[in-house]
Amino acid sequence: MDFRRIACLLACLLSCALAVAPPAWAQGGSPDAELRGVLDAARAACPLAPGAAPAADRLTRILCDNKIRIGLRDYYPLFATHENGQRQGFEVDVAHAIAAKLGVEPDFTRVNAANRIVLVAEGRIDLTIATMGHNTQRDGQVRFIRPHYYQSETILVGPRALKVASWADVRERTVCATVGNGSNADLVAHKARLMLFDEAGVLPEHLRSETCTLAAQDDSFFAAYFADPAFAAAFVPKFGFAQVPWGMAVARTGSDRLAHALDLISQIFHRDGVFLEFARKHKVATAFLERQQAVWNRPDCNTATGATNGACILPALDTELEPTTFARPVAAFEKWVKANLGVELVLPMLKTAPAWSLFRTGVATSLLLIAGALSATLVLALVLGAVQGSRSWLLHGAARALTVVLQSSPIVLTLVIASALSHALFPASAATAIGAAIVALGLTNGANAGQAIGEAMATLRAEPATRGLGEAALFSRALGRSGSQIVAFLINAAKGTPTASFIGAPELLTALTDITSFSSGRITTYWLLLIFYILVVMAVVWFCDRLRLRLERSHAVA
Amino acid sequence: MTGLLHQLDADFLPQFLTGMTVNFEIAAVALALGLALGLLLAWARVGGGAAGVGAASIIGLMRAAPTFVVMFFLLNAIPRGANLFGVPLAPSGMMAVAVSLVPYSAAYIADAGVAAIRQLRARSPLGALLFLPNVTRAFFVLVMSSGAGAAIGVNEGIAVLLRQAELLPSLGDRLVLFAIGVAAFGIPLQIGFALIKALQRRLSRIMMRHHEETP
Repeated sequence: MDFRRIACLLACLLSCALAVAPPAWAQGGSPDAELRGVLDAARAACPLAPGAAPAADRLTRILCDNKIRIGLRDYYPLFATHENGQRQGFEVDVAHAIAAKLGVEPDFTRVNAANRIVLVAEGRIDLTIATMGHNTQRDGQVRFIRPHYYQSETILVGPRALKVASWADVRERTVCATVGNGSNADLVAHKARLMLFDEAGVLPEHLRSETCTLAAQDDSFFAAYFADPAFAAAFVPKFGFAQVPWGMAVARTGSDRLAHALDLISQIFHRDGVFLEFARKHKVATAFLERQQAVWNRPDCNTATGATNGACILPALDTELEPTTFARPVAAFEKWVKANLGVELVLPMLKTAPAWSLFRTGVATSLLLIAGALSATLVLALVLGAVQGSRSWLLHGAARALTVVLQSSPIVLTLVIASALSHALFPASAATAIGAAIVALGLTNGANAGQAIGEAMATLRAEPATRGLGEAALFSRALGRSGSQIVAFLINAAKGTPTASFIGAPELLTALTDITSFSSGRITTYWLLLIFYILVVMAVVWFCDRLRLRLERSHAVA
Repeated sequence: MTGLLHQLDADFLPQFLTGMTVNFEIAAVALALGLALGLLLAWARVGGGAAGVGAASIIGLMRAAPTFVVMFFLLNAIPRGANLFGVPLAPSGMMAVAVSLVPYSAAYIADAGVAAIRQLRARSPLGALLFLPNVTRAFFVLVMSSGAGAAIGVNEGIAVLLRQAELLPSLGDRLVLFAIGVAAFGIPLQIGFALIKALQRRLSRIMMRHHEETP
């Protein structure tokens, strides 16, 4: 009896306690009940009279029309494909399940990466489910549904035999990526050598042909390729980075209730494992969905207000780059050029702090490289010229052999050899790459110019007019005689400096390629690059012409 | 060396040789385009007047254009779908390398062409024939420069060599492989230069004989 009384007393106390102070999560009610309430209220607002004006609220219109217009991709294997009139994939199943939950028919529209936001923002579709990453820039264009229905990350894929385990192994390797991919900034920061393509579809082909050592792209993109046993046998994902949550999205105006209903549906689908089931069915990665299922089963998240609870939802990926102090005047100038000249001028290197920093470093490095390559060419030309012009057959032969080897090596290969040797002697850094490039360019061009000096010495020795002249005087005359050749190879050295980008020197070509990999304005950027180098080389030509005239004048006087 | 041979992919040699043929193809295309443009510019320059000044300016600009930058410019500054009278303008990787070499080859051919035309006008057809060894020299320079294609993923000889080198664990093995590459490019180049020298000598002898026979 006592036990029953105690139990009864405890039950009463517990009931009272719950009635007086319900837990926080219980305050919002269940998402299921909230969803029912939202849908009932929207249905009740349907215009009764036929031909009446359509409802302003998008959810009401969807329910009254018994149709939801959903934007889906047509070809994104495993996620959404449309072949022979049949739609298949993870996102297709999600779209059907959402329509069923709302109790309406789905009406699908084809969308792609370029129009998936425009169509929903203009109200031509009600909802887009199209492999769209949720980032802070897009937050201003559409309303993303929370919780996110999937999460992708960028993975580095490469041959099985290649040992790449971390960022340290990526430095100076050729990584193929697509233009404008936000994760390219990470690759740039870790000194990868980017090879950019417009379409992700070409990446597997370039991996197979070994054009790319590694390829970086969404894991969702590579999922279909790894389903192919031949591809999976040859390549593996090395590691992942830049996780980005994927969100369904609706228009920012007139969609408040629709967005709330979809938030609740997404919550319920995570909690009940609906998303997970679709993912397993279509063999897409499930790790994120498994984690989310655990989250949305938590009492504090499984509420009507869970989608606004910061402890339950994921933040959008922050892709905003810090602007420069002069970003506004630059943007105003771009607008002025477009309005007055009709030219689409985009100057990404001046608008964000990381791009501006890369650009300044690029310009400074390019000028340093040119000055270094010119000096090295001149010094090595004089040294090798003197040696090749010497009467010692041993010195002459050694210098001649070196010249033949350097002439026989394509400049790209000479740079790579110089880089490999410098890395064996010094720690890998930008300074090492710049130093290696200066030595390689100086050796290649200096050897050729030195050969010209040596040949001029030989012809001078054969002339009766120079008999009795000392070696120094002969050498001076040889410089005058080979002036045009020396100048030609100095110009060649200056023109060759952009090739230093191949071994990781952060000169202007590298800097601008890196900038365009994560921002727009590719065409303007490469025009500026071409103009910069042509002007610099023309300045070098002018300077070298002055040098040649001095050499020839001194030769004439002598 | 035996160790290195064991570490090389079985298909390395055929791939490398195929890659080297790509280098020669790129050089041939660049030279053909350079000949067409360069001879036109040479003709305009020798003609003098406004056309001559214009041609000289264009040649100056082309001389100043770095091949590597032009290559990246062609790949990135031309929109993918761009076309002219239905002909697509965006070049493939291989064509981008070939076209990027055209400013060099056209400027070189223009200079050699001007010299040859002046020789012809001076009634020295044999002097004008020196144009041929100059063109041959340009071809070999273009073959060596076409290695720049490795930077944009063109499957030429240097790209094949560098891919193989990435798989070799030791610096020593990589250097031996690079030496093989230098030899593979260097031998045809040195043979080519030797041929040019022989051709030049022969032409000089013919010219000398011609001068002696002319009253």
